[in-house]
Amino acid sequence: MSLLRYESQVRPPLVEGNKDYHQVTEDICRPVEAKPSKLWWIGFLISVAFLCFGIFSVCMEVTYGVGQWNLNKTTGWGWDITNFVWWVGIGHAGTLISAILLLFRQGWRTGVNRAAEAMTIFAVMCAGQFPIWHMGRVWDAFFVLPYANTRGPLWVNFNSPLLWDVFAISTYFTVSLLFWYSGLLPDLATLRDRAKLKWRKMFYGIASFGWTGSTKHWQRHEALSLVLAGLSTPLVLSVHTIVSFDFATSVVPGWHTTIFPPYFVAGAIFSGFAMVQTLLVVTRRVLGLEEYITIEHIDVMNKVIVLTGSIVGIAYLTELFIAWYSHVPYEWFAFKENRVNLNSPYGWSYYLMMGCNVLSPQIFWFRKMRRNLLLTFFMSILVNIGMWFERFVIIVTSVYRDYLPSSWSTYYRPTIWEVGFYLGTFGLFFTCYFLFSKFFPVIAVAEIKHILKRSGENYKSKMDVVEKETFDDFAHEHAHDHGA
Amino acid sequence: MASTRDTFQVPKRYNSLAIALMAIGIIAIIALYITTHGSGGTPAEKHQSDARFWASLLQNSVYFLLVCNAVIFFIAATTLAWGGWQMSFRRVSEAITVCVPVVGTICGVILLTILFSSNHIIYHWSDNNVVANDAALDWKSGFLNKGFFATWTVFTIVAWSLVGWKLRSLSRSTDAGKLTVEEGKRYMWTNTVWAAIYIVIFALTVMSSIPWFWLMSIDAHWYSTMYSWYTFASSFVAGIALITLFVIYLKNTGYLEFTTKEHLHDLGKFQFAFSIFWTYLWFAQLMLIWYANIPEETVYFKPRYFGAYSPIFWMVFMINFVAPILIYMSRDSKRNYATLTFMSMLILFGHWLDFYQMVFPGSVSPDHVPTILYDFGVGIGFVGVILFVTARALTKAPMIAKNHPLIKESLIHHT
Amino acid sequence: MPVKKFVVGNFDDEAVLFPAVKKVRRAGYKIHDVFTPFPIHGLDKELGLRDTSLHVAGFIYGITGTATAVGFITWALTLDWALNFGGKPYFSLPAWIPITFELTVLFASVGMVLTFCWLCQLAPFVKKDHFNPRSTDDTFVMALECTAKTNEQDAINFLNSVGAKDVSVQYRETGWWLGRYDKDNMKFEKRELAH
Repeated sequence: MSLLRYESQVRPPLVEGNKDYHQVTEDICRPVEAKPSKLWWIGFLISVAFLCFGIFSVCMEVTYGVGQWNLNKTTGWGWDITNFVWWVGIGHAGTLISAILLLFRQGWRTGVNRAAEAMTIFAVMCAGQFPIWHMGRVWDAFFVLPYANTRGPLWVNFNSPLLWDVFAISTYFTVSLLFWYSGLLPDLATLRDRAKLKWRKMFYGIASFGWTGSTKHWQRHEALSLVLAGLSTPLVLSVHTIVSFDFATSVVPGWHTTIFPPYFVAGAIFSGFAMVQTLLVVTRRVLGLEEYITIEHIDVMNKVIVLTGSIVGIAYLTELFIAWYSHVPYEWFAFKENRVNLNSPYGWSYYLMMGCNVLSPQIFWFRKMRRNLLLTFFMSILVNIGMWFERFVIIVTSVYRDYLPSSWSTYYRPTIWEVGFYLGTFGLFFTCYFLFSKFFPVIAVAEIKHILKRSGENYKSKMDVVEKETFDDFAHEHAHDHGA
Repeated sequence: MASTRDTFQVPKRYNSLAIALMAIGIIAIIALYITTHGSGGTPAEKHQSDARFWASLLQNSVYFLLVCNAVIFFIAATTLAWGGWQMSFRRVSEAITVCVPVVGTICGVILLTILFSSNHIIYHWSDNNVVANDAALDWKSGFLNKGFFATWTVFTIVAWSLVGWKLRSLSRSTDAGKLTVEEGKRYMWTNTVWAAIYIVIFALTVMSSIPWFWLMSIDAHWYSTMYSWYTFASSFVAGIALITLFVIYLKNTGYLEFTTKEHLHDLGKFQFAFSIFWTYLWFAQLMLIWYANIPEETVYFKPRYFGAYSPIFWMVFMINFVAPILIYMSRDSKRNYATLTFMSMLILFGHWLDFYQMVFPGSVSPDHVPTILYDFGVGIGFVGVILFVTARALTKAPMIAKNHPLIKESLIHHT
Repeated sequence: MPVKKFVVGNFDDEAVLFPAVKKVRRAGYKIHDVFTPFPIHGLDKELGLRDTSLHVAGFIYGITGTATAVGFITWALTLDWALNFGGKPYFSLPAWIPITFELTVLFASVGMVLTFCWLCQLAPFVKKDHFNPRSTDDTFVMALECTAKTNEQDAINFLNSVGAKDVSVQYRETGWWLGRYDKDNMKFEKRELAH
């Protein structure tokens, strides 16, 4: 094994500026150790205000029943489940970046994975709220668990996709949390050993579990990360797959289609990356981390956005095509009359979805556009608006017209409490994110150090000699085990 | 050592093996033709035996074309992702893609013959009389018609071949001399552009329309939105297995001295991961149709899940999921030449069998499985073609793209 | 756990650390541990540590999860209280795959993390002795354990000669105890004993 820390100079550096290990620690820990800025307080308090409004909206719903929402006989799922699927989707990027990109050796993931994982956990927390409070009698929520009960030996329905969801979301939340926190341990130890204030020593001392950086511990830590990454990769696919089963196992036109599982996953990655962009474009600026989350990182993530956006586009068109091709009148009616027909009550939402998710990301084919921060920020919001409408289209346009025209519902629009609940989850999400960015390092310190000598700008520029070597000289010198 | 091993020289034994395999294929085709065309019988029986002959050619040519084409996809995907690790055996992948125009021509001729032959033995929708009496096929004729099928098929095969050729010639262009960093960046840029063009073509063909035309329209009444992505997953795993086999062969004959167990380990991981991905799509498609239980959809799985084809159907599951997950789980098995060789061959066979159960119940008969040995013989013939063409292609260029900007990363690659 | 005596050397470059580890081991010193701010591939091999079998544990936990899910659902829905759901057979394996998969992953992950924490003795309120607080920042810290045969001065000189900086002799507790990092560094009665 060669000890050479080499990477082609053709690749842009992942850490800019003249850094050594200590400088990396300083840069990333500085925002954590500084006093919170005024901007932070303003953002935090606004988030808490939203959260409070959300709590109030939920209280209204619990006190007076689900009737506080505008759901009706055919539109039994409206904003609540739309928001659920939307948040779950956003909660895919973190684990994807950490797990799949780790397995695919995409070096750039180190700059963004920690923040993305945190975002994942918060998004899943938000997502979980919707099915729980949608139950109405939320005090009976524990009925979904397969516990030995007093109603005779009656078990939950293991054949139901809704129960699969219970298992999928809770497993996903648990595993993401473990993955994130086990990765955080060494960085928390760094903060602990740097701490000057008493409370910091105590807090990071407790939080870092007594991590020392022993070689044996690192060895186990590496093994753990790798296996957790390997487990999380199918897990992250399974979660949105199972969410898609909620729809696809049914016989509702527009829901029952076999492409749903991979297409939901692609959509989830798409919206998750967009949310990562939204957060990081701001975070890197505010915390002064532009040298770690570089333009290259933004560029690559925009490439992922155009890729997944196009995959989603292929899926939309496949769905539409097969609806026609299937020669099933109900399926074709759902698409033609409830979606594509612009004059139908919700026709506009279908075009909004197509425009935001399929057409608008195509702008990222151009390198200039991918590197424009303002545009990136704007697009990342647009994509998530589009992805919200995707779920809205799937859910509402499929159910608001039942098989019986007599039960075609009136126009469904949410009440203030449905909207308030949704806004409240924004409050929850951003409250958590603000706390995270204040008390935890938003970039994985140890992982950056790990790649520093290979991908850091100052180290790469010293590799001129190696870069200029001919293939044969290089091979002679560094490829130790040729022929093995 | 390095200088004499720079380019591939086809060993005599290799050559005779390739020719022998092709001969077996031709014998199988002739034997199949005699057995299916000799006897009399009712017109319906005649149709069935005629279909049996053409179905065999269809299944084999489409499968091997998609597998070779999946290798171009591998090249394009790793180019777009700036994957340095695979550079040490990149020329092997490139050589395999030379098969695309060759197998593509064979496949195109077969498809168009089936389409335009008078008795419409496999694609029922191409028979105007059938369509006139069938409301569903009439409805679909906007898509399922001879003109569209033929044009799109020809366009697709030509497009794959051309972009494959372009990617290869870009790779060859680096052989002239060492690139500076700036030249390297520009080179990567051009490469990325062409890889992206290929991916767009790939999305419009393999990921959507082509499997609908070539395979799904055999069961013209049936439909599944997943079908194309499933076909892609199947062919991609097989494509990786094919690359692995060539790499191991070349290593064993003393070439590719800079491709090590580390690279093979990664190829093993790819096979493992995409086998699971294939299973995921396999399960999702099957389970959703099983769960919803709509007759128009379950009709496809009836002969496969329960009927005559169920042994093949479940064998496919065992070979393509159970075997890889159990065997490739351990690190050592992915670094062992013998296991890798065995598993790659098994996976290539497993997905061939998968295509078999995709094609035959709809085109020949859902009630009985024909003597699979003939079809296997035809498949052997296609393997011979791939061996022959790939070896020829390998002799034409140095085995290693020594001046590619990422080649050095591949040399010090370790998992 | 006892308090032991160590000769501690600090390195600021892993490229120096690697050959140093080799030389120190060859010279016959007993390396207690090397503390690094980030994982260094190959260092475990250099130190002669055996591979971890954590992933084997993970595999076993995973299988346990699979068996639990399939076993429990089969029992509940075919034996204990069989119900007809949508005309499907009682034993509806395709419908149980999702939960089976989730439990496999859940058992494997939780089990592995707990095992990891157990093996590395990591938990809230656990406290351990530190040789150098910079070892979580930018310093690679090598601690040689002083045995009866060790000549301290020789060890110090040797570490200096292989590139270590600020070599010192330290008495440290090797185990863990419950404590807080804002309180005194060590159970002081033990420190007294060691001196």
